[in-house]
Parts: sequence; structure tokens; C-alpha cells
Amino acid sequence: MALVYLDPFAQLQTELERMVDTAFRQSGSRLFPPVNVFDAGDAYIVKAELPGVSPEKIDIEVEDDALTLRGERSFSEPNPEAAFHRRERGTGQFRRVVRIPGRLASDEVKAEFTDGVLTVRLPKAKEARPRRVQIEAA
Amino acid sequence: MTPNDLEATPKQNAERHDETTRPGAYFQPAVDIFETKEELVLVADTPGVPPDGVRIDLEGDELVMEGRVRPGEYDGLKPLHVEYGVGGYYRRFTLGETIDREKIKAQMKNGVLVLKLPKAERARARRISVEAA
Repeated sequence: MALVYLDPFAQLQTELERMVDTAFRQSGSRLFPPVNVFDAGDAYIVKAELPGVSPEKIDIEVEDDALTLRGERSFSEPNPEAAFHRRERGTGQFRRVVRIPGRLASDEVKAEFTDGVLTVRLPKAKEARPRRVQIEAA
Repeated sequence: MTPNDLEATPKQNAERHDETTRPGAYFQPAVDIFETKEELVLVADTPGVPPDGVRIDLEGDELVMEGRVRPGEYDGLKPLHVEYGVGGYYRRFTLGETIDREKIKAQMKNGVLVLKLPKAERARARRISVEAA
């Protein structure tokens, strides 16, 4: 039997590629940070890439179905004698409101920040969670 | 008015000149490169890459940097709205300076890779005084 190495990202990547093009074409301006929203069954997961931002500088607020991410990206400037060859990384403030596509529980929203990626876990309202339905005996 | 100085740019796919045995998407990280009298500093945005996911190779004057992300994070998640692709990072540079390879320092923090490349002694600008004959 041949051993096939499955790219763990393959399926996700294909779906993402399809959706990324659509999302970018739809939105006129390029909002920062770009976010990915996932359905994790009993919760919504919002991920955003914020490399170089200190977690203390990120402000997260949830109200009804709106998740607001606010903060600032700044880095210490190198010494003034430094000559730049490339300057592709931006700095500045950001504020973004993400609409969550469903009802949220009043449970605690949890957020974590690892290696520059912010992951926000928003538990769904009980009625919105997938439920097992038993077939009743006739 | 709400501040939003930063603009998102779509991720660029990296062109790899080598063939990898592992499949997966690779993007070109945004970088800042600056130079001081003593060193070249390269700062790259590589969110999602843990410190042990970075590989840096310097062969002659060609610098290759690669960052790998952890695959397991997305298990069981169904994408609903997607604005950016997920994958590793790859970028290649031809350095214009001779680097002291022993003294290269790499640091990863909050998804940002900082690479310090000290210039080789020979390459540093040295004042040459002209003696009167």
C-alpha cells in the first residue's frame, strides 16, 4: 500500500482560496486586521493575524452580534542612522467590527494570542447549537 | 472618526525555487530590512509560526527564510467567512553585504521574526588615513 502524505491544510486551503477571492472583491477598502470566521459547532471562532502587536495593546469587546477589535501596532524605530532597504510592514491604530453570523450565549467569550494570531471563541446561544434529535418510538 | 491607519494587503504567494516534499501553501512575508554600520537587520511578519518553526539558511550571499505553521489548529473548524489564507512563509534574498555567519542572531516574538546579520569585519567601513609622503 502506498503511503500518501496528506497535507493537513489541503482541504482548508482550497476552501479558503475560494472564499478569499470573493471576500476581497466584495469589500472596497482593505480592513485591518483581516479576519477568518469559523464554525466550531458550539461556538464561533474568529481569528485575526496581528504580528508584532503586544496582547496588552489589543482591546476586545463583544456586544450582541458585534465583535470589536481595537489596538495599535507599533515597533521601536531602529537607530536614526539606519538606512532602510525595504519597508513593507505598517504601523498604526486599528479598529474593526466583525459581525457574528448567529446568536451568542451570555457565556464568557474567550480570547488567546499566540505567535501573533488572535483567536476569539464566542460560544453560540443554546438554541443555535447543533442538537441531536432522537426518533421517538411510535 | 474611528482610526484605521493600517490597511490589509492580500497575501502574496511565495515563489519557491526549490521543490518541497511537504505540500502546502507558502506566502511571502512582509519585511523591513535596514542597515546600520555594523549589521543588516531583517524583520518579517510571520504570524502563526512558533519559534521552532523557523528555518534560516545562508549560502554564499543567498539568505533563505522559511516559517512553518502548526496544522492542528484548524481541525473541526468550518470556514464561514475568510479574508486571508493560512500557510507557511518563504522568502529569499541576495545579500549585498558579507555577513559574519557565526554571529547571526534570530529572535521570534508575537509572530515577528527579527534576524540580525552582523557584517563581516572586512566589510565594515574603515577609515583609512592617508599618510603624508
